[in-house]
Amino acid sequence: MDKTMNQENRKAENKKRTTQRPGTRRLVQLYAALLYNANLKGFIDGHIYTGNLKSVCVPGFNCYSCPGAVASCPLGSLQNALNAAGHTLPWYVLGILALFGVILGRTICGWICPLGLIQELLHKIPTPKIRKSHITRKLSYLKYVFLAVFVIAIPLIYGVGKGIILPGFCKYICPAGTFEGAVGLLQNPVNATSFYQLGSVFTNKWVIMLVIGLACVFCYRTFCRFICPLGAIYGFFNRFALTGVKVNPDRCNGCGLCVMKCQMDVKHVGDHECISCGKCIDTCAQGAISLKCGKITLKGPEIGKNADPEPVIRKRRKTGRVVWGVAIAILVFAVCWFNIIEPAIENANEPAAAIEQVTATSEPEAAGQTAAQTGPETEKQTADTTEPAETKAGEPAEQTADTTETAEAKVGEPVEESPKTQEAAVNLPVGTEIGNLAPDFSTDLIGGGNFKLSDYRGKVVILNFWGTTCAPCVEELPYYEELKVKYPDCEILAIHAKAGAKKAEAFLADKGWDHLDFALDSKEKGIQKLLDVSEALPSTIVLNLQGVVTYKAQAPLTYEKLEALYKEALADPTGKP
Amino acid sequence: MTRNKTFLIVQSVFCALIAGLLAAAALQLYFDGAAKQAEGDLFYYMYTREKAGEKLLPILPLFFTALGLTIAGLILGVKDEKAEKPVRDEILLKDLGSIQNKAVHQTATQGELYARVAIITLAVCMIIAGIINGGLEDVLAKGATICTECVGLG
Repeated sequence: MDKTMNQENRKAENKKRTTQRPGTRRLVQLYAALLYNANLKGFIDGHIYTGNLKSVCVPGFNCYSCPGAVASCPLGSLQNALNAAGHTLPWYVLGILALFGVILGRTICGWICPLGLIQELLHKIPTPKIRKSHITRKLSYLKYVFLAVFVIAIPLIYGVGKGIILPGFCKYICPAGTFEGAVGLLQNPVNATSFYQLGSVFTNKWVIMLVIGLACVFCYRTFCRFICPLGAIYGFFNRFALTGVKVNPDRCNGCGLCVMKCQMDVKHVGDHECISCGKCIDTCAQGAISLKCGKITLKGPEIGKNADPEPVIRKRRKTGRVVWGVAIAILVFAVCWFNIIEPAIENANEPAAAIEQVTATSEPEAAGQTAAQTGPETEKQTADTTEPAETKAGEPAEQTADTTETAEAKVGEPVEESPKTQEAAVNLPVGTEIGNLAPDFSTDLIGGGNFKLSDYRGKVVILNFWGTTCAPCVEELPYYEELKVKYPDCEILAIHAKAGAKKAEAFLADKGWDHLDFALDSKEKGIQKLLDVSEALPSTIVLNLQGVVTYKAQAPLTYEKLEALYKEALADPTGKP
Repeated sequence: MTRNKTFLIVQSVFCALIAGLLAAAALQLYFDGAAKQAEGDLFYYMYTREKAGEKLLPILPLFFTALGLTIAGLILGVKDEKAEKPVRDEILLKDLGSIQNKAVHQTATQGELYARVAIITLAVCMIIAGIINGGLEDVLAKGATICTECVGLG
């Protein structure tokens, strides 16, 4: 009898499953993932969103270096804030986390975390599943270790104690960073040079991401349950959270079915492990559990629903439709804003700023048009349509050989340009690719003075783009200083990226990099955009004696590499196309 | 062994194989590159777009087969049925003891309400303090540049 009933139940379940539509929670998860990543054009053009909304954190786990991300990751921001705790106390990020925690608690994990969605989709792959047990329950405390060590201790010890920027969790573990950030950027051919900086960190993180991904296939929300420090933080607030699953004590008979069927390692409904997914609401035969936001019931037991009178049900449906309507309108507006309206506004403002700040040199005029007049897009077109530099310059091999000899004999001293090499440079297209003549620009220097690129013809110029919040940038700047001390004739301009430029001056005050020239980029100056430098820092451009680009990549450099690049530029009159 | 079980095991093998091959590809590129760099080639890049493409291409057929199997499995309703049954781990159940669901009241207790209001007030004050001390700008600065180390580009 039991066997027949079981079979019937199973058949009914199978039928229900095959005809199942995505539930409300899945739709909300998809909605949140899309809203967090509304900058869809980022996936096409390979650049991240750099607007002011990035000063706000989203509640869920979403890497801010993902090309689609329109706001910041709370965990990355927390590590960065703790890193900088020596000079700026991390009130802002802590306040945001506390606010999210007390309003939503771990409902965030279950409903609006894109990484949670990815984990659940991976778990949908039909394979044998590892069920929760006393071992997984013990392992669930591991995330507090990750929180204490990688998110709090490492950034604090390195940041406050040693002045080194080290977001421990992001750098060594975070699979969201690898998947959304690294893979999201690397898949685009625009970021091909980003591959050059891949090394041990990427290899480690790639393997970690695969292990976590594979584990999620077999074990429900592996990352969320055992590793996620953000979930651990929100877990502290779960008890006080305004939103979450609540129990009606009059109906609960303590059978424990809710806990035994729950896939998370909960001890009771709504504890620090509970992500308020609402599965227990369907499981509870007593109809004792409901998902609430204050006094509003977001999801109630089926019995309650059926028992409600028809007008109440109708009103609830109507409210649901209105809420979804508003949510979809917000999403459509966000997608239009980030992909169409905001870029159009920026483009409309751009030419005026560029012409104001950028001065053209006489050489590019001979080649056709100046960078300032043409803008980056036309530059690219020029580069595409012009024949390779070697063909135009004529006899490049011979020239290189000749100049190499001269350069080797006079390293560190100014080298006079021969008329032949000057002629070669004149015929090159203006652009930012290797072998192009770099577009001219001028900018004010920190500490006074002005830098105009065309004034440094006859010298090797190294343009380094850096940021105070970028660890590899800060690590490599002493190498530039060393190079400048050894080769005083080399001109090095370190340009702080427009983001966070206000703090650069104070940051540089006690560093002692006195031989380098520092400048700040801004939205109005647009140097980064003019030179087509990505948001990935550090980025370096090396120009030879004629101002031709001989090296351009987004990669941190060692002193040896830097010296080799300098010597190469000194020896190479035309650049290497 | 039932057909259901066989399907699940085959799918597991596929998943493990794909993850293993992807990891092996990265490790091979890394160790090859490290060896070349050790020989003194300063500008030898461990990874390039072309090298990555070469390594990923042979894995694609496996990936699409696994994807096809997943879709077929989901349509046919193949799944590990044990996973949906209530957990029967005796040590866990003993550890859980009596389920303390009644502690999670439907409406917040007075103490919880006070705590909630206190935390919200504190959080808002902290956010305002953060905006004043430049914390907001720091978040923007970090978010508006690609943190190469953070995303693993190091």
